[in-house]
Amino acid sequence: MRDTQASKSRSLLYAAAAFLLLATCVSSQAKADVPTFTVGWSVYAGWNPYFYMQKSGILKKWADKYGIAIKVQRFDYAASLDAFVAKNIDACTMTNMEAFDLPAAAGVDSTAIIVGDYSNGNDAIIVRNGLTFDKLPGQKIMLVQKTVSEYLLERGMVLNGQQANLSKLKLINTSDSDIVAAFMNNKSNPVVVTWKPLVSQILADKSVHSIFDSSKIPGEILDLLVVRTEVLNRPDGSGQKFAKAVSGAWYETVAQLAAGQANAIKYSAGASGDSVESYKEQLKTTSLFATPKSAADFTTSPTIKQKMDLVRQFCFAHGLLGQGIKSADDVAIIYPDGSIQGKKDRVRLRFNATYMQAAQQGKL
Amino acid sequence: MAAFSPFDIVDIQARPNRLVAQALSCLLFLICIGLYMQTSINRHKENPEDRVTPNATQLANGIHASVFEPAEEDDYIPADDASKWERFKHSMIVKDTVSSGRRFLISLALLIPAVVLALHIGLFPWFGAGFLRFVLFFDKIVALSLLPILFIVFGIDEWSKIALIVIGVAPTMILDVTQMVKAVPQEQIVKAFTLDANNFDVAYRVVFRQVLPQVINSLRLNLKPMMLFLFAGEMIAASDGLAYRIAIMRRHMGMDVILPYVLWVAFLLFAIDLSLRLLNRRMHPWFQA
Repeated sequence: MRDTQASKSRSLLYAAAAFLLLATCVSSQAKADVPTFTVGWSVYAGWNPYFYMQKSGILKKWADKYGIAIKVQRFDYAASLDAFVAKNIDACTMTNMEAFDLPAAAGVDSTAIIVGDYSNGNDAIIVRNGLTFDKLPGQKIMLVQKTVSEYLLERGMVLNGQQANLSKLKLINTSDSDIVAAFMNNKSNPVVVTWKPLVSQILADKSVHSIFDSSKIPGEILDLLVVRTEVLNRPDGSGQKFAKAVSGAWYETVAQLAAGQANAIKYSAGASGDSVESYKEQLKTTSLFATPKSAADFTTSPTIKQKMDLVRQFCFAHGLLGQGIKSADDVAIIYPDGSIQGKKDRVRLRFNATYMQAAQQGKL
Repeated sequence: MAAFSPFDIVDIQARPNRLVAQALSCLLFLICIGLYMQTSINRHKENPEDRVTPNATQLANGIHASVFEPAEEDDYIPADDASKWERFKHSMIVKDTVSSGRRFLISLALLIPAVVLALHIGLFPWFGAGFLRFVLFFDKIVALSLLPILFIVFGIDEWSKIALIVIGVAPTMILDVTQMVKAVPQEQIVKAFTLDANNFDVAYRVVFRQVLPQVINSLRLNLKPMMLFLFAGEMIAASDGLAYRIAIMRRHMGMDVILPYVLWVAFLLFAIDLSLRLLNRRMHPWFQA
């Protein structure tokens, strides 16, 4: 009796296994017909909604509408950029500065299809002992070098009339995973430049204070969704569908977030392991383009060109464009109105407002 | 020579002749270089400006920049007629090698007291009782995860990096050396005492002399962990050093500089290892390793 039961259950197991195998074969076959796209994102107030967008099914709804599949994958920031430049992923969240100095400068033609937000206080320069800008030269400054932190520091110096002292700054390249401990535990290091939520953690100590933050340079540190241009221009049109689907999903997500929908905020906060409180505080200093209209208006305005010009000159001055590039114009940017910053034959970064405008007109 | 038969590969007694042996030892290098070149060529076909796998020209530029151009954060501007040597002296690779090398050598020097301590732990029961268990425990601590505490104690400047290396490597060295000391036959120690040696004669002139070549070999094996800890420290917080430069270059995919740096570090490690090996052979010709 026991034996037959055992063999029965065993054959059942085999049958189930065979069925599963068949099922996976069939489903993977079915998947192969559907163009699949991968979006990489990393933890940041303005990008956390991608986590909710996927979890809530909003993304799947839009992907299904266009008959494609979209995967969303979380990375460390640097790793996501590496994956994007190595062409392992099709789209990636990044700041305007990295879009310019990484994929674009490395010859990977890239298109920004969503201008999501700008940092409006998320990045800050924090000092001890009431230091001011004129006293910064000679002090040790901890920051992640060659990122928006260094850009912020330099802009702060320039806007406070300390341009001549830029070369006297003593920078210590400090990993963002250790920068809070390194600053808090060393009274001899009086200055740190970093971003939220690290800024909030540091400012919890009442003996330090912020002397400059990104709200003083609005619109200069942009957070984008960047797609490889070759993906966007795939001859079968699937790239266009991808851009439309992801834009549609994004603005539905952001609308929920802006309306303060509890789940949208809860899951976006959870994406970075933040509490709802802390995430709401971060959103206050993140100027989200909550409507496609606001995003499209900004992207088509002349302002963006001025801001990008500051960023590209910074990148060039700091050697971020690599050894081979002799002028900032060698990595040219094209804007929605067709104007080009740099050499016409070297367009590498494109701002494309088409999909934001389509979302604005409800044409997605 | 007998003709080659495929079974020779699994024959312990079959020796390839010298020429074949040399060629075989180069084979994997050639395969690696070939694979790299192929990837690089393919990627450049797709994107002529690819930076992930720089081609020969890009690499040559990267090497030139690292060897003859000053680091970007330096104030030094070479005079137009500066000689190559002048430029080399102020180049970024020299600057980085000097600062990393200093950290490395200081840590290396700090391992000497660790070895002496190990000798005592292995030989003197009172030391053994006091230290051995603690070192055994400490050896299993992953030093990297204690960084915030290291920052409090050593600051974020030079000493925290050196401490990271020493804390990471010293316990392993101590345990290793303690084992070597314990392996010295007890009879020898007894004999030395009967020949009127005092305690320190036995420790330093009988036991230490014997284990020294093994200690040097153990150090050679620990060079790579030392370099790993140094790199970890420099990537966490630094304003110069070989790993600092690699971390900075990574921000814009400067593989054209990173690859030469990685090879340079490999060469440095190889050179230190080789010199320790030669030193060992010179000092201890009787030692068969």
